[in-house]
Amino acid sequence: MDDFNVKNEPALKQFIATPPRLPPKNERGVIGTILHRCFNSIGNSVLTLCVAVVLFYLVKHILDWAVFNAVFVAESRRQCMALSADGACWAGVISWFNGLIYGRFPMDEQWRVNVGVLLGLMWLLPLMSKRIPLRNFILLSWIGLYPFVGGYLFLGGRFGVELGLVHGTMTCFALAFLVMLYMNWVLSALGYKGVNEWFLPLVSRWAERRIHLMSFIVVWVLITFGVSLGLSHVSLEPVAIERWGGLFLTFIIAGFAITMAIPVGVVLALGRRSKLPVIHWISMIVIELVRSVPLITVLFMAVTLLPIFLPADMEFNKLTQVLVAVCLFAGAYMAENIRGGLQAIPKGQYEAATTLGLGYLHTMVLVVLPQALKMMIPNIMTSFISLLKDTTLVSIIGLFDIMLMARNIANDKDWVGLHTEPLVMISVLFFILCYSMSQYSLNLEKRLKVDH
Amino acid sequence: MTMLSEKNPLNRTTSVAIKIDKVNKWYGTHHVLKDISLDILEGEIMVVCGPSGSGKSTLIRSLNHLEDYQDGVVSVFGQPLSRDRKSHDVIHNAMGMVFQNFNLFPHLTVLQNCTLGLTWLRKMSERDADKMAMQLLDRVGIAALASRYPGQLSGGQQQRVAISRSLAMEPKIMLFDEPTSALDPEMVKEVLDVMVDLSKTGMTMVCVTHEMEFARQVADRVVFMADGEIVEVGPPEQVLVNPEWDRTSEFLRHVL
Repeated sequence: MDDFNVKNEPALKQFIATPPRLPPKNERGVIGTILHRCFNSIGNSVLTLCVAVVLFYLVKHILDWAVFNAVFVAESRRQCMALSADGACWAGVISWFNGLIYGRFPMDEQWRVNVGVLLGLMWLLPLMSKRIPLRNFILLSWIGLYPFVGGYLFLGGRFGVELGLVHGTMTCFALAFLVMLYMNWVLSALGYKGVNEWFLPLVSRWAERRIHLMSFIVVWVLITFGVSLGLSHVSLEPVAIERWGGLFLTFIIAGFAITMAIPVGVVLALGRRSKLPVIHWISMIVIELVRSVPLITVLFMAVTLLPIFLPADMEFNKLTQVLVAVCLFAGAYMAENIRGGLQAIPKGQYEAATTLGLGYLHTMVLVVLPQALKMMIPNIMTSFISLLKDTTLVSIIGLFDIMLMARNIANDKDWVGLHTEPLVMISVLFFILCYSMSQYSLNLEKRLKVDH
Repeated sequence: MTMLSEKNPLNRTTSVAIKIDKVNKWYGTHHVLKDISLDILEGEIMVVCGPSGSGKSTLIRSLNHLEDYQDGVVSVFGQPLSRDRKSHDVIHNAMGMVFQNFNLFPHLTVLQNCTLGLTWLRKMSERDADKMAMQLLDRVGIAALASRYPGQLSGGQQQRVAISRSLAMEPKIMLFDEPTSALDPEMVKEVLDVMVDLSKTGMTMVCVTHEMEFARQVADRVVFMADGEIVEVGPPEQVLVNPEWDRTSEFLRHVL
């Protein structure tokens, strides 16, 4: 390093960097840009005009049908036709709107669905706040505990009787968790200490280690006790699973498939890469078998074949069977997505983790999977979107999801033959859902990008 | 030169840190390590050099079992290593490694890279781990960048983070596998400076490198390898200045 003794004589010229300049501005403006891009030659001008005319007619016809000539208030399809023959008859969709959303859920109990969905969203709301610690833990708690709350609200019955004591206890724990979450959030937003910290001095009297965890558990159990006292008097009208339907059911199936897809996919993908032959082959067979069969077949098999394999006294309702099938299907596809991500992780990452002393599980969970999943966000989101749309197939095996409810409109004696409008309505609904999912994934990608 | 002769390991009464005994390795039928035997003493700074394909990277990667070898024994502090869980722990408690391509975890900040092992393996509290990592980052002059992500750092900075990430696990032996080969010339020095500092702390170091100036300055012994064999071992003034073999002097003509 001493070989190159750089001269530092005053006689040398001093280098001063040229000051940076701003990039040239685009001063054309909107109209200028349009003229420049679309009318820069005769051929292009003609093309532009043609496209404009076609677009105009298309948009005009669609608007005429859907808005200007449409009927929004009518008693029946016949009345619709009488009012406006060449317009959409939205009145039918509007009168069936409740059915599309809640299926055949009893009218008086539909508030329970609203409350259930609202609680689920409330649970996830703190994830938006950057000030909440352990956000992954909240997500995990949602996956692990929310189904109990939702299950009780949607199924009903006297608390802890129809659904069993275990389910009731878990519901209490789940609700207590939500209460604690919000108490801590509100308190920290107001600048006070969280509930858990009140109990720190008390807990530290008898516990020496992990006092934070201990006080967390103490608070959780205390609130659970309070919640269970309140809930033990509650009795809701029981609603059979067969009456669930509409968008509500679609959400349940798709939500379950989406939350289970990643864990199942990760296990299958890691299994397929395993060096242990039994695990490798089992994972590979599951993935390849499920992937090579259409979803409809998987659904039919779940409903007809699954009961044959299971012991006779084990009886599942149709929804459970469908959930298992969709979960397996989603997992198998997800496994291949995740495997792609795993393969893109350089070998050096594994080596660095190993030389730090991390074992297989630590390496996977802390180093490899976070990177692989992040890299695969676009693919994973594509899978999620197609899952959401694929769940409409369950109407074929007789679950009253939004698709079957829409077809039922055409069978209603007042709205006979009303096919197009419900389908258009469902298309718009699914577009909104899927588009927001894809926007969310773009947002997520941007947020997780740490290169620059 | 007097300083270097003082550092001659033969004058010290130290124990053997790594004992390599007749290690052989084949890639298919290609014999990449041929009967390698070498003792690396505690506190010794050993530089391994040689032309590409001479097996020097393979050798250093065999020491911590990143590469399998078919024959021979490597012992660390007197304990022969095998493929079992216990050896795994011995290796990774004793040895840290720095790679040519840094291999930092890109999804974690610089600080999290350094504390990962401390919090998950040593079960250290977050505060203690952060404190320890910050001390190490400070030592390599990167404390100010602790909350950045590796992708936002220059190569030299990344390599210095990689060094402190290894040091966080408090290894007794550090392995360097061409730590400066992927760096721009302007950044080589900052990494070498860190390594020179480290050599003064009594750390046992095994470095595969082409930086002959570094070898001359800090190495206790230099190993010259060619075609999977150790051609020469000795103090730098011997191997680098008066080599015994023509293969060595030919190599030195190319790199010096």
